[in-house]
Amino acid sequence: MILKLNHLQGKSAAAGAQDVIGTVYSLLEEGQIEKSQFARLQVELDWIQYKQNFRDVVIATQGYNAQGQPVPIMDIHVDTRQVEPGCLRGAFLRALAHTHRDAPQHEADRLALEDFQSLRTSIVWQFNRLYWSRLPDWEKATGKGYEEALPGGVSDGHHPQAIADSVGDFWTLLKDMDAKNQLPPEIFLLEIGVGTGTRCGMWLNKFRELDQQRGTNYYPKLRVLLGDYSLATLDMSRPAVREHADLCSFLVLDAVNPLKTLSFLRHKVLQVHCTNVYDNLPDEEVVRRDGRLYFVQVRAYVPMEEVVRLSTEFDIPIDRMRSTVDRLLSASVDFLGDPARGVAFWMEIWKSVRLEERLVLVEDLPDFPFPEGLDASKVEDILQNAPADFRFHLSSGALESFIRTLPLLHPRGYLQVQDIFVTDLDQYRLGFYGPGKLDGSLLNWVNGALLREVAERAGYDVHFAPFHYRKGARTSVLYTTRRE
Amino acid sequence: MTLPTLPTTMVGSYAMPGWLERLKTEYFARRISRHDLDEIYDAAAKAAIKDQEIAGLDIVTDGEPRRDNMVDYFLERLPGVQIDRSSKKFYYDFYDSSVQGKLPMASLGLVGDFSFLQTFSERANKICITGPHCLTKRIRNQFYPNEEALAVDIARVMNLELKALVKAGARYIQIDEPYFSGFPEDLGWCVRALNTMVDGVDAKIAVHICYGNRYGKPSWEGSYRYLFPGILEAKVQQLTMEFARRGGEDLDLFKEFPNQFELGVGVIDVKIHDVETPEMVAERIRKALAVLPPERIFILPDCGLFHLPRDIAFAKLKAMVEGTRIVRKDLGK
Repeated sequence: MILKLNHLQGKSAAAGAQDVIGTVYSLLEEGQIEKSQFARLQVELDWIQYKQNFRDVVIATQGYNAQGQPVPIMDIHVDTRQVEPGCLRGAFLRALAHTHRDAPQHEADRLALEDFQSLRTSIVWQFNRLYWSRLPDWEKATGKGYEEALPGGVSDGHHPQAIADSVGDFWTLLKDMDAKNQLPPEIFLLEIGVGTGTRCGMWLNKFRELDQQRGTNYYPKLRVLLGDYSLATLDMSRPAVREHADLCSFLVLDAVNPLKTLSFLRHKVLQVHCTNVYDNLPDEEVVRRDGRLYFVQVRAYVPMEEVVRLSTEFDIPIDRMRSTVDRLLSASVDFLGDPARGVAFWMEIWKSVRLEERLVLVEDLPDFPFPEGLDASKVEDILQNAPADFRFHLSSGALESFIRTLPLLHPRGYLQVQDIFVTDLDQYRLGFYGPGKLDGSLLNWVNGALLREVAERAGYDVHFAPFHYRKGARTSVLYTTRRE
Repeated sequence: MTLPTLPTTMVGSYAMPGWLERLKTEYFARRISRHDLDEIYDAAAKAAIKDQEIAGLDIVTDGEPRRDNMVDYFLERLPGVQIDRSSKKFYYDFYDSSVQGKLPMASLGLVGDFSFLQTFSERANKICITGPHCLTKRIRNQFYPNEEALAVDIARVMNLELKALVKAGARYIQIDEPYFSGFPEDLGWCVRALNTMVDGVDAKIAVHICYGNRYGKPSWEGSYRYLFPGILEAKVQQLTMEFARRGGEDLDLFKEFPNQFELGVGVIDVKIHDVETPEMVAERIRKALAVLPPERIFILPDCGLFHLPRDIAFAKLKAMVEGTRIVRKDLGK
């Protein structure tokens, strides 16, 4: 057995680790774990960063071949933060039982919300969509704005000095283009995922001020496009840019495909910015084990004790719980006749949603449905220098957004993305970074190392600068430079 | 060989298939031999020629599958240029290169490529060569007093090569100068270097000037106005320029600055995957005909098709040919 210890939580993990080792040995000695299974087992502790992470305290992930037959690969992940005294053994047994499809309790202890599938298409993203489309309802129910849910309670995107530096860099670019007689008559900027509009408003205020100070008159030439896939969010952003209304346009756009909405601006946009967007786009995960790749399939479920609780609390028969969730996601929060009750149900069910998973062997890499921008040969190149056994994000949504944003850039333009990035595949040796629950939404760290490789083939170098404006900030700023 | 009115041709490169990219990389990783790679190149060139013939082009190129990019293929052959062969991660990257002494006069060996093209197609043909300005911009100059001096010496070497190509039968040679648009201030010496390169070369010489196509995206934006009147001093017969992606506004420069050049009109946008309809192509040609007579117009894509998938490149060439036929019919040709 391979035991992998992480130290993601930054506090004493020794006691929890000892409990796990003791439990695994006792299960082996009792015959609950077969010897042949034990030899191939990989147990990983404190594997995932987020505490709200969709996972039970112990999960066992069985490997399968493409035909659906089990293969001798099994991962066990333990989140020691969630371990309650005396519960570890039971949690192990429950997790192991779920790797045996014929076990009696296989389906009895949970209500599956879907079949096994890619995380990217999982129902959890429908919850995420519901959150952004009904954000005011959620905020009203919780009594706090969504930015308050962020670490530090405020978006790093609003930091005044960071904005001043960004404005300064952009003004310098314009000045240089101006000196070379290359300044276009209209200067297009795009912000994807505008949030409250605060950053955009602050940026424009600062730019106007600098432009006036230096007498360059670039400000009136700005054409600022504020994009978001939620009309509710766009409406919220308007007051923040009220003073610059003549320069601003508000666009409903899918962050995964900005080019679809904005193809008329191909090669014309001088700055594209997004903060905390990539971490909220649909993702997939891949495991590399013993030289082979396994795709992580997930299935969302609600533990049966939670189903019973919700059934009582909301007077919904257990056998109608699954269809009630579907109605919530399709008909939104008004479905119970009382929107406040609908929101309450939504919040409770979301809190209860878990993900179980299995590994499916990728037998035919060239035909694997990689996200746009990635193919088998690129993946092989990338993995040449990657750890031998590790689990990583494909960051499919982020990757597609990235690759479908680059064509918008003017030859002198750049893309700036402020987010939580894994910047080196080696970082995955230290643990896994998502998905987590942030209020009603999802978040995942973004595989920046993968973005970097894909960008190179698309003609851009990608750089990551730690966000140094706030002590303890975990975000970085990705920015592109044109590759010669 | 008699050409029809509005002859159609490519700018040079055809689609680079993914499998060929992978095999090039295999070669760099020392997993396949030079001999095997050369055979692969031959097969790819034959396929590119055949696609052009089937699409109906009047003048064909070899599709340039042998070139990693438009710079390294020539710098590797230019005697006296030092190449750091460890400086490249992906085949399409540029090598780091430098010049540390005077360039000797010697052959670049391009006649072999041309002979291959002649052997495998009976159609009229064209060979495309990267020009001295573009090459100069990619070389670290550690010897010559300035860029012009280096460019002129490159042009002298290239001049010998062009004469060898003419001797081998080349009648239509295109010089690619995509960096002109990025460095308009260089135009004076660019033209002097060009004139050195074509001095005494008995063939139709075209100069291709675009706004860049590195990684399938433009490297610069602006107007062709910077070319005039300086380019009028160039001793070449044809300019080929991009008008599909950028629109036909700059065509008016040919009215504003009367000249004798033929114009290779870019009517296919090579930076998008949407395939033009023949009618769109015809409309773009008609815009050019409003400025120049048909006997001075050639029909081309905006730039090389290197970055397009093969099926899209082929469909675009077919649309270009069909659109040209529509206009020929309008003209009664």
